[in-house]
Amino acid sequence: MSDPRDPIGRSDPTAVLGPDAQADVWEVFRQEKDGDAMRHAGNVRAPDADLAMHYAREFYSRRQESVRLWIVPRTAIRDLSDLDLLQPPLDRSFKKPGGYVMRDKLDAARRKASTE
Amino acid sequence: MTAEPTRRTTRVTVAHDVPSFDAAGLAPATRDALSELLLTLADDEFVQGFLDSEWTGIAPMLEEDVAFSSLAQDEIGHARAFYELRSALTGEDPDKIAFGRPVDAYRHCRLLDHPRTDWAFSIARRYLYDTADAVRLVALADSSFRPLAEVVGKVRREETYHLMHLDAWVRRLADRGGEARDRLEAALAALWPDALSVFAPLNGEATLIREGILSEPMEVLAARQLERLKGVFGGLGIQVPGTTPESSGGRTRTAPSAGFQWLWGEFTAVHRLEAGATW
Repeated sequence: MSDPRDPIGRSDPTAVLGPDAQADVWEVFRQEKDGDAMRHAGNVRAPDADLAMHYAREFYSRRQESVRLWIVPRTAIRDLSDLDLLQPPLDRSFKKPGGYVMRDKLDAARRKASTE
Repeated sequence: MTAEPTRRTTRVTVAHDVPSFDAAGLAPATRDALSELLLTLADDEFVQGFLDSEWTGIAPMLEEDVAFSSLAQDEIGHARAFYELRSALTGEDPDKIAFGRPVDAYRHCRLLDHPRTDWAFSIARRYLYDTADAVRLVALADSSFRPLAEVVGKVRREETYHLMHLDAWVRRLADRGGEARDRLEAALAALWPDALSVFAPLNGEATLIREGILSEPMEVLAARQLERLKGVFGGLGIQVPGTTPESSGGRTRTAPSAGFQWLWGEFTAVHRLEAGATW
């Protein structure tokens, strides 16, 4: 693949995800109880989706610790770890709640509201 | 004189999941036929479970090792339930039925009398056994003997996944071609004469049918299984021998195979060392 950051990135997983991205690795997410978020549990190696399901079940729910599993081929995952995108170098403090000092303004607004 | 130290179990091993019932309400002929049926069910699952466990640590890949060991545990669990049901009929101790019999008293079918051999052989044998067992369990699912129907209902829920697992492996070995397929075909050819041995007619089978404990005769189940196997293997392009496997002598043998004698030595080792040992 010429562009290792191909948006799909499936034809050459190692170009996107590095040498750990074997095609037979499946990432497993599990839900502990209904309503919980799916959380990454770990991974299994399996030659196809059917066996991946059996192995995921054995590794991540054999003690009844899950009510749902998602089993995802590692090669389907788009990895994003470019710090220019995730941690931009210029100031972004205005995007955080701490970027503004709101206390005095809020106090004033509350006083105004209570006197009306 | 010192008192015998009290033997205490270190953990509660098993949740109570086998229904209790009053055996006194059963006619003697019915009780005998049921005991026989339960012993064959239990011994089949027990031996299959121990055969599976022989792969623990040496299966083709780590994930399969864990999965196959889990299948082994499931089968031993099913055997336990059937031994406990039998125990409630006959008053024997279920552990003694499981571990305390001489090597020639086990009633497992001939399909399970072969040694572990290679991976393809284990997959082929387990596939033949699981698919046959599934046909047998259907015939017990609505059993008039409700405690059995209840246990069979639970067992079938687990067996569904065993079947899916084995089906995936048979298809993989068949589709891969080359050595994988050659070994699978060789194993199926070697096992073929015993493929229907699960359906050996039972002593008291007529009673089981009359009482609605078993819905259909074993020979009818055997014929159904044979048609299914032909369909599956035909679809995979696998040649099986043209001969029809015999079911009639499926549990009779002059002597247990050397492979089973070895396995028996393994699974009874602790019991023979110290009967009633707990952990």
